Amino acid sequence: MNSLASKASSGPLTNTLRRLAQRRRLWLCLGLFVFLAGAALLAPWLAPNDPYDLSLVELRDSLRPPGWLAGSLPGHPLGTDIQGRDLLSLMLYGARVSLAIGFGAVLLQLLLGVTLGLLAGYRGGRLDALLMRWADVQLAFSTLMMAIVIGAVVKAAFGGAFYGHYGIWLLILIIGVSEWPLYARTVRASVMAEKRKDYIEAARVLGFSAPRIVLRHLLPNTLPALLVISGAQIGQAIMAEAALSFLGLGLPETQPSLGSLIKSGFDYLQSGAWWITLLPGAYLVLTVLAVNLLGDAWREHLDPYRAPIALSSRGG
Amino acid sequence: MRNSNRFEARQVALFKARRWRLLSALLLCVCALSATARADDVTLDVAYDTLPVSLDIHEQLTVGVLRLAHLAFDPLVRWDRHLGLEPRLATSWERLNDTTLRLHLRRGVHFHSGNPFSARDVAWTVARLKRSPDFKAIFAPIVDVTVVDDATVDLHTHSPFPLLLNLATYIFPMDSRFYSGERAATTADGQSQDKAAIVKGGDTFASRHMSGTGPFEVTRFQPGARIELTRFPGYWDHASPGNVEHLSEVAIGESATRVAALLAGDVDFIAPVPATALSRLEHAPGIDLITMPGIRITLLQLNQRRVPAFRDRRVRLAMNYAVDQRAIAKHLLEGFVTPAAQMSPEGYAGHDDQLTPRYDLAKARRLMREAGYPDGFEVTLMAPNNRYVNDAQTAQVALAVAAMLAKIHIRVDFKTLPKNQYWTEYDRRAADIMMMGWYSDTGDSANFFEYLTFCSDSRSGTGQYNASEYCNPELDSLVALANSETDMRRRTSMLRQAEAMVYADAPFIPLYWQNLAWAASDRVAIEPVLNVMNMPYLGDVVVTPRATETHSR
Repeated sequence: MNSLASKASSGPLTNTLRRLAQRRRLWLCLGLFVFLAGAALLAPWLAPNDPYDLSLVELRDSLRPPGWLAGSLPGHPLGTDIQGRDLLSLMLYGARVSLAIGFGAVLLQLLLGVTLGLLAGYRGGRLDALLMRWADVQLAFSTLMMAIVIGAVVKAAFGGAFYGHYGIWLLILIIGVSEWPLYARTVRASVMAEKRKDYIEAARVLGFSAPRIVLRHLLPNTLPALLVISGAQIGQAIMAEAALSFLGLGLPETQPSLGSLIKSGFDYLQSGAWWITLLPGAYLVLTVLAVNLLGDAWREHLDPYRAPIALSSRGG
Repeated sequence: MRNSNRFEARQVALFKARRWRLLSALLLCVCALSATARADDVTLDVAYDTLPVSLDIHEQLTVGVLRLAHLAFDPLVRWDRHLGLEPRLATSWERLNDTTLRLHLRRGVHFHSGNPFSARDVAWTVARLKRSPDFKAIFAPIVDVTVVDDATVDLHTHSPFPLLLNLATYIFPMDSRFYSGERAATTADGQSQDKAAIVKGGDTFASRHMSGTGPFEVTRFQPGARIELTRFPGYWDHASPGNVEHLSEVAIGESATRVAALLAGDVDFIAPVPATALSRLEHAPGIDLITMPGIRITLLQLNQRRVPAFRDRRVRLAMNYAVDQRAIAKHLLEGFVTPAAQMSPEGYAGHDDQLTPRYDLAKARRLMREAGYPDGFEVTLMAPNNRYVNDAQTAQVALAVAAMLAKIHIRVDFKTLPKNQYWTEYDRRAADIMMMGWYSDTGDSANFFEYLTFCSDSRSGTGQYNASEYCNPELDSLVALANSETDMRRRTSMLRQAEAMVYADAPFIPLYWQNLAWAASDRVAIEPVLNVMNMPYLGDVVVTPRATETHSR
């Protein structure tokens, strides 16, 4: 009886359920990410006040500690920054900016990297050599340095005022442009591997056009790798934005991202106002961690050799 | 200090093969020797952000050059701590008439070269200053110098000029015999050169050689990096308490490194102190931090040409009532600025204690309503951002002002730029509100008006930094009148009246005077030799010798 029941429970539905239950880490990361990103997305409704509305700012309330410490003000649960702005509101709005830049930059990287990678891999020859040497040159510089150079060129070409207005878009552009080789390399490698296989040969013999072969046959085979990289890259892009803002090359003071918030608090760390730097710092770390673990869990999920249930049913 | 360390190191290398005991005994010996050498040899190590690149004190007009001039030369008169004037090489002075000032000079003073100092050196030095590209504008009022006798000299001006004594703080008499004649052909082109030649960034006699009357002689000079000085044995001022025998100055451009060098004991005195290090240095054991209300005013200029609303006095006043200078000083820049409501700092002729910050939001709102702007308007603001220099966090100040003006419905679209980019934008008057910092290089109130409020006139150069585009001929003529008034009491009341007119008319929003900060090891009695002109008189500084420290090493 008992053995029969256990046999019955290993049907396809229960199997999936058990599989999902074993992906607790995936769920945990997803939950954390949804919580942090959701809070950021819903900032206009969740935040105690609008940090972009300067008329609400009271300089006299500056540097108040979080609610559980002495000297705090009601209505500012996480304290205030040097200008007297509510830190919780700043963090939520700042996370919005950071996430927008993170996702935006990765989208741009994907677009550039996949297009150029497919081109290089499929065409090969001179175009491939040219694109890959370009990628080599770019990879030889650190991302941050590339970003600083591109930022400086944009600033010099269009002026600081322009930079201030289109800060978010420019940061997306800068981080996007400086990290595309990673995608291009990956895509090119899988295209090179795939294109010698029979089914591509078959497609070619059948007279399909090159774009069709590339988009319908090659691209889908590179997707799993791309998704995995993207998890890490979003975290990377958020960190790059934070680093640029920390160096003073990011967004203006009126629209702080998490990175520029950390930077603005840094000067007051020694005078005891730790919350301006540490709380946005914690938010940033948790967000990046959640995104990274999510990417990691996804990779495990997609990896056929590490699917424990599917393998265990076949046993030894 | 560093030399003796290197010496010890060499000893160690020589005797490495020998036994332990011998080595340690020898080291002890070396330590004892260097300690006795140091006891009668008081040293002082100083780190500044920049040092002069030439020994010619007329080549460039910078604070660094003037600091060096105070070490190797003596001025005729100098500023004391309360912005009064203290006799140096001039012992007394009298006004012969509206255009002539007679100076009586100190007798028995010798230059480092051994030449005696006389009135001819003063005349020669002023003539050279009038040829210096950097100084000639300041010395334009002096038309002639006459030598009455060896110890008396008359300064003549074209028209009545009340600030002759202020000018005399820039006259550091040079050794005219030492600096006269032809220099042997050393340059590649084989041309001989006048020893008195002034060439900016050039290789001249004066840029490599020095002979002044000052407390120190330069013994080693690395342009822009390091200056070593030794006390001049024949210095005239026996009343000076100064006891430093060897003075060494290094340039450490990075402010965090400068602070670290002081904390580590590598140097004994640093200037400037960055704002971010203030609280740290205040609590550091063995370190004295000294701050003083400075003389550099920071203000926001309201461009009347760009914004019609700024032509209405009520709007400008409303903005002045809306900005809370005290809150900025207290919350944003604590201990680093003194809130201001006028241009002249305390101690200046035009300073009036009655003119205080006037924060009053209700009044500001009422004035905006009266002026017909109950819903405000939009303006742009630009300020330098000194992220890397970190002297005063002007970007934070600009943001705070934007928030304060938002309360009277003036929406400020503000941008901050690095300093070098900022000034080109400033010259273009690129925003409606521009941040400006200014200090008077004559040590006098009139200078503020001439540059910041006078009607702009490109021919005479007045109002060059008047980005308010404000023009009040009545104010200009009042200040011009004060500039030819040699009776100091009457002049003072005129300048005060001028400050009061500006206060009432509000062409700009004054914010604060930036405080000055220095830090020194507590064995250096630095405070008595500091002044708001930021020129420490290190010839007079008293240093407790480093006696016990060698044993602990």
